[in-house]
Amino acid sequence: MIEVMFFGQFKDATGVSSIMVEEVANTDMLIQMMKKRYPALESSTYMIAVNNAMVTENTIIRHGSKVAFMPPFSGG
Amino acid sequence: MDKKKVKNIFTEGPVEAAFIADSIAKHATKTSIGGHSIFLGQVRADMVDGKQVEAIEYTSHVEMALETMSAIREDIFAKYALTCMHVHHSLGIIKAGEICLFVFTSSKHRKDAIDACTACVERIKAELPVWGKEIFEGEGYQWKINN
Repeated sequence: MIEVMFFGQFKDATGVSSIMVEEVANTDMLIQMMKKRYPALESSTYMIAVNNAMVTENTIIRHGSKVAFMPPFSGG
Repeated sequence: MDKKKVKNIFTEGPVEAAFIADSIAKHATKTSIGGHSIFLGQVRADMVDGKQVEAIEYTSHVEMALETMSAIREDIFAKYALTCMHVHHSLGIIKAGEICLFVFTSSKHRKDAIDACTACVERIKAELPVWGKEIFEGEGYQWKINN
């Protein structure tokens, strides 16, 4: 399983802070799957982190990984 | 993740003035220090379309934020001749006028402390997975955007 986490406005948009999904080969496939499930993600600017590391290109997702969908940061 | 020591930077609620004063006092024994630099981030009561921001609620991807902060800390110590650096960021609801970020750098000479403090604040704003929800007086909210 893979844990998919939503932060900031994405937690509002999806109504959940995290979900467990079956194995997905890579981040591109997971993004497509999540956009289908949560259409609000479609038009949003998002960043993806796999196991706490930001990814900018399609990345393999290993078993047991944690993938975060994050809107632009606004700390401080 | 690795052998680096990951320090907690998050506190629930505002950073209190007494805590800041106490942090300064604790450095009195470190007599190689010649200069401190402090940045305090304060919640602003912005007006947005006639509604006033009364508080910001901060949330974070904590585990990732702490790892990112460790990497920032390492970079800053490599670049500037610092004696020490302390970072405290609030989580939860922080009211307008309260302190939500405290960055404290110390060095032998002022320039390292000042420059490191600025660099650290900029990197915190740009790189830490933290989100602020601006809560309006009465009802409603909007998500904060960092400039």
